[in-house]
Amino acid sequence: MWNQGGFADSSMGGGYTQSPGGFASPSMSQGGEKKARTRATQIIPCTVSQLMSASQADEAFKVGDVEVAQVTIVGIIRSTDKSMTNIQYKVDDMTSAPMDVKQWVDTEDPGVDGTVLSPGTYVKVSGNLRSFQNHRSVVAFSVRPLEDMNEVTSHMLEVVHAHMALCKPQTTTSAGGMNSSMASMSRTNVGNMGSMGSVGGGYSGANMVNNGLNASQNQVLSLIRSCPDQQGISIQDIKQRLSGISINIIKQAVEFLSNEGHIFSTIDEDHYKSTDNDE
Amino acid sequence: MANIIDVPKPRINSSMLSQHINRPVCFVGRVEKVHPTGKTFTVSDGEGKVATVELNDPLEEELSGAVEVIGMVSNKGVIMATTYNMLREDKGIPFDVQLYNEALKIIHDFPQHYPFEGAASG
Repeated sequence: MWNQGGFADSSMGGGYTQSPGGFASPSMSQGGEKKARTRATQIIPCTVSQLMSASQADEAFKVGDVEVAQVTIVGIIRSTDKSMTNIQYKVDDMTSAPMDVKQWVDTEDPGVDGTVLSPGTYVKVSGNLRSFQNHRSVVAFSVRPLEDMNEVTSHMLEVVHAHMALCKPQTTTSAGGMNSSMASMSRTNVGNMGSMGSVGGGYSGANMVNNGLNASQNQVLSLIRSCPDQQGISIQDIKQRLSGISINIIKQAVEFLSNEGHIFSTIDEDHYKSTDNDE
Repeated sequence: MANIIDVPKPRINSSMLSQHINRPVCFVGRVEKVHPTGKTFTVSDGEGKVATVELNDPLEEELSGAVEVIGMVSNKGVIMATTYNMLREDKGIPFDVQLYNEALKIIHDFPQHYPFEGAASG
């Protein structure tokens, strides 16, 4: 499902550019920049009703808070009208009246004639939302007949997910963080509880700190950061200060944080300092 | 009277029929039994609950498998169908009605992100 529909693709793309530098480190500012850069290049799964009621400022459309330019819709063709230069469909996804979809025909390409789709065909349309004289339509670069009807189901879920993830202002960074967590989840070992914690947190409007670390890792890290000594803080000290966490968990956290580059050992393997200074 | 195609048709299952009396709906399910007259048939939704569909004209084809029906819900909770289409399963990929039912619950839980509303475009 994550590889279907461009929404995940472009976000994963953003995640890949982030990950070399910011695997588990806080990606707040990076997440903000990423959103500004990729806003115009996202493809958003939508319903026809959303496209019809989207607000318009100049050339930019918005569904609620979500900017939409390139979109996907899934629906059934109600009518087909072929002319010399284009094919016009009316695509019905049940949320509103059928949407006008225009697909330009390449007159040089003789094979195009065979691809005109008939009414009653379920399709996935990818294209750009347009408004002309108050009339909304989609100019499609792809109109693909569905072979697997479960794509109808998945599109419904993708629409809700995409608009939810892009909508809430507090989860803007979570959306960025969630995607980089997803990228790191597939890249690093699955045992990384931190990433999975953030993904779950992102959905419900997180209370968790969304930097890819779980609760105990964060506590250990905070403690190490707060130590002003040159030789850093020892694991025994950490155990004393965090009496509620077992020594094994602390050692695992220290090993993880060290591998991720948040801390480094000093005089021996029991003493650590944070790599982030002047917090 | 507006054509039913040109209005929003909320996707529902059997449990939601009673909340949509006299309103247009879109019902997806598996064909259970077709009456010999071909003018009525039953469909089961993803929860296994059965609904009845009535047609204006008798069926002209074999109806089976997963089907999507559009019509008005009568006072008795029967779907008076205007049109239907079979959901293709010819590529060997069965349509998962139970999964569709889960998606249904989600879109009804988040109507702000999956609205069924609006009029025809200019």
